[in-house]
Parts: sequence; C-alpha cells; structure tokens
Amino acid sequence: MDPASLVNERVDVVLIHYANASERLLCVPYKMKFRNQEVIFTVFGMRHPTSKGKRMVHVFEMSDGVNDYRLEYDAERLTWVLVSVMEGHYGG
Amino acid sequence: MDDINKEEPMVMHIDLNSAFATTEQQAHPSLRGKPMGVTNRLSRECCVIAASYEAKALGIKVGTRLSEARAICPDFVMLETDAPKYHVVYQKLVAIMKSYSPNIKMKSIDEGIIDFHGMEPVLNGRTLTDIGYEIKQRVKDEIGDWMRINIGIGTNRFLAKQAAGWHKPDGLDVIDHRNMKAYYKEMKLTDLNGIADRNEARLNSYNIFSPMQFLAAKEYNLKKQVFRSINGTYWYRRLRGWEVDEYDTKLGMVGRQWVVKDPTHTSEYLLPCLAFLCETAGVKLRFRNVEARGICVWATLQNGELFRLKRMYKTTFFTNQEVYRRAMELFNQRPSGAVVTTIGVYCYGLESSKASQLSMFEDIAKVGDITKAMDEINEFYGKMTLHMATTLEGKKIIKQKIPFGGTEYFELLLKST
Repeated sequence: MDPASLVNERVDVVLIHYANASERLLCVPYKMKFRNQEVIFTVFGMRHPTSKGKRMVHVFEMSDGVNDYRLEYDAERLTWVLVSVMEGHYGG
Repeated sequence: MDDINKEEPMVMHIDLNSAFATTEQQAHPSLRGKPMGVTNRLSRECCVIAASYEAKALGIKVGTRLSEARAICPDFVMLETDAPKYHVVYQKLVAIMKSYSPNIKMKSIDEGIIDFHGMEPVLNGRTLTDIGYEIKQRVKDEIGDWMRINIGIGTNRFLAKQAAGWHKPDGLDVIDHRNMKAYYKEMKLTDLNGIADRNEARLNSYNIFSPMQFLAAKEYNLKKQVFRSINGTYWYRRLRGWEVDEYDTKLGMVGRQWVVKDPTHTSEYLLPCLAFLCETAGVKLRFRNVEARGICVWATLQNGELFRLKRMYKTTFFTNQEVYRRAMELFNQRPSGAVVTTIGVYCYGLESSKASQLSMFEDIAKVGDITKAMDEINEFYGKMTLHMATTLEGKKIIKQKIPFGGTEYFELLLKST
C-alpha cells in the first residue's frame, strides 16, 4: 500500500559541499552506489534533520529523474543508509 | 455602510496551501504534478488529510477515503505524514516571516500572520505587495522550488485571510476600503471565514443572504437580533476591516483522544491504550508548565452512546501515573460490556506549575524529581523510552498523529518521532 519500498541498506555516497550556496543546497549528494549500480542524482528534493533521541540524522530526499530515494546520513556514526525507494515512471 | 477602516493595509496572511501534500511533492519529485494525498495512517479506508492541487482539481479533497480517491483516479498516490519534514518547512517559513517583523503569529502549521504595524521605517517605502512577492520568491529559494503560498493583505486579520483565499493557488491579493465592496459582491456568505451553515441560517433568518447585505446590516441589529451577543458587534467591525481578532487564548485543557483501532469492550486492550493517552497528557501538562486539578474521561460507544465522567480534586497533579490513576478510576465506571470506539482524556482546572517551589513534604518533592528525571531520559533517548509498564501494549497500538490547528505541541511531537 505504501508506494515507497523499504531498503534500509548502507550505501556509498559521493557528496558535494558547496562553498557559496543557499543553506538549502550547501550539501548535496551527487551519486550513490547501491547493489553495484551507480545512481546519479539529478533533482534535489529536500533535506531535513530528524532527531533519534539526541542523535541527529539528516534525511536527504533525492531523485534520479525517475525514482525518488530517501537517504539518511547519521552525523554521529558517519554512515549513509538508503532507507527507501519510490518508483517513478519513465515518460513516453 | 460607513465606518469602514480606511487605513493602509498592514496585516499580511501567509498560507502554505495544501501544505503537507505540497511538501511531499517537494520531497518526492516523481509526485510533482500528480494527484496525491497525505494521511496519518495508511490503510484501505484511510482518508485524505491534505490533497495536492492536482487531486483537488479532480474532486479529491480533505476527508475523501482512499478507496473513493482511487475510484476517481486509479493512479492516486497516498503517503503517510512525516512530521520532521513539515517541521523544517514550518521553521523556515517562520524564519522568513520573522525577518520582516517581530510581530508574527502562527495560526497553525501552515499559516501565519505578519503584522507590519509600527514597521513603516523598516519598510522604507516598499509596499506590502512588493514584500509579498519577495516572500513568495524566498519560499521557493529557501524551502523548495515546488512550494507555493497564498498571500493576503488587509487592514485586519479577517480581511487578510479572506484575501489569501481569493485566488488559489499561488495568489497575492489585497483587500482594503478601495475594493472591499467589489470583493464582497463576488462572495457567498459561507465564503467568509467564520460563517458556516449555522451562522448562515442565522443570517438568512434575518433576510441577510449575501456578504453585501451582511455589510449593510446595522450594528444594533447584528448584536441584538442576529447574533444576540457581542459577536454581532465583532462581525460588524470585522467586515469593515477593524481588528477584533487579536487576542491570546488561555490554556483551558490539555489532553488526547484516540479512535480505537479495533473497537472492543475488554479492559485488557483498552486500559493500556488509556495509559498511553494519559502519559501523553502528562507530558503535555509538563511541557506547558502547568498542573491540573480536574480530569475528564470520555468514550464513544458502538451503540451510539457517549460515556463521560469528570472529577475535580482539591490538590493538583502533573505526573503520568497520577493522570492515569485518576482517569482509570473514571474509565472503569463505563457501562460493562459496551464496545468502545473512541477514548478521550483531558485535564482541566490548570494552574501554573509549582515545580520550582520547594515543597514542605519530602514525598512530593521526590515524585517531582523522579518525573523530571524520567522526562530528561525520554528527551535524551526519544519519547516513550521510559514509561509505565501498563503503557507497553498501548505503545504498540497507538501512533502519534500530526496535530492540526495550533502549533503548541509541534516541538513535543518531534521529540517522539
């Protein structure tokens, strides 16, 4: 029923930290490697912090132009987790 | 039809329309431009609590069930609410608003008011319309390019809110003495905020069928005949652009209600759920820094009856255990065998917390210290890390919802997510 499929797997992420950007876009995931496939992000949806107790986790909502990905960066443990994927549809 | 406020409009109403749905579309680019909605708990019969503009265009609105929405549009997508996401949008919106005036008031998670009275030197000759367009652009830059807001500008809160709803979505309108009558001519009575079916019927019974007739009504008639209270005077002034809605509401009660997931009569199922609700009410009491003297427990029963008991105590209480003990005493008096469909508990008779005062009685001081320690642990490790044993089963069943209306408990909710 939930359109997002849960993944909850650690992934490799390449990140860009911009020196001069608005606060919203200071830190943007560029691509990730998930199950040996490289996904390049083309649309930045949103970043929002979420606290797990006192631990801060940054959630990045990204898209490769078709699918949406929810990535969590644990600022304390320095880990990236792909939480879920929402499948989009190819045009045409 | 005189007495119209002719000052320059200085009140701005900002409304992030379809806030939750638009935020989800911002976060999920694949959903942009598509009919989608948000609900608190995904299930076959859940209903929409916020629909995207695209869904609204198809007739899917707040309250539409998922099955109905899918019948209208088979590709309709429903997502569960995600409080931290909305909190970020809320925080950023508040930050943008505060950068223009310290006098802002959030009416709910997705709408607020900026009062520019006294800010004329800071405006530096700029009109509120200019500032409105700037705020729209800042919302797109700082929150997200898919976010759209409605802005209304008026001489009072009422007209500003009306203006914000004039041209949705993404509108910006001003209502003042120059176009007030033209605006009222376009509207129906029920288009006015605060006029729903009952007030409409009340106005109709005095031959008032349109906002223009409402505007033309005499203050005396509104006060003495139509509303038979001071509300008549308020409406007379409100319609003319005078401010009557700037007041702070007093905290009267604190509580929580819950629609029983699997309606039943068994105490084994209901009491842990009641305990959970009492824990939430207790945390809210301490969050608002108050203690209660009264408690009320109510339940709607499957046979259509309402069970409701309340009791006032001589001494105040504020711990979760005390809230539960008192609530359980009342709840256990419900009709035996009656299937409960909704449970509610609220504390009233609120007084300022005495936690900072030294107590003469050691045992009372101890209870306060233990409660404080428990709250600190829960704040550190997440809400409901430490709770009453009775609550254990209730915690598995009840899910925290996004609060509509006030924003008082938003910070508290985020601790629990």
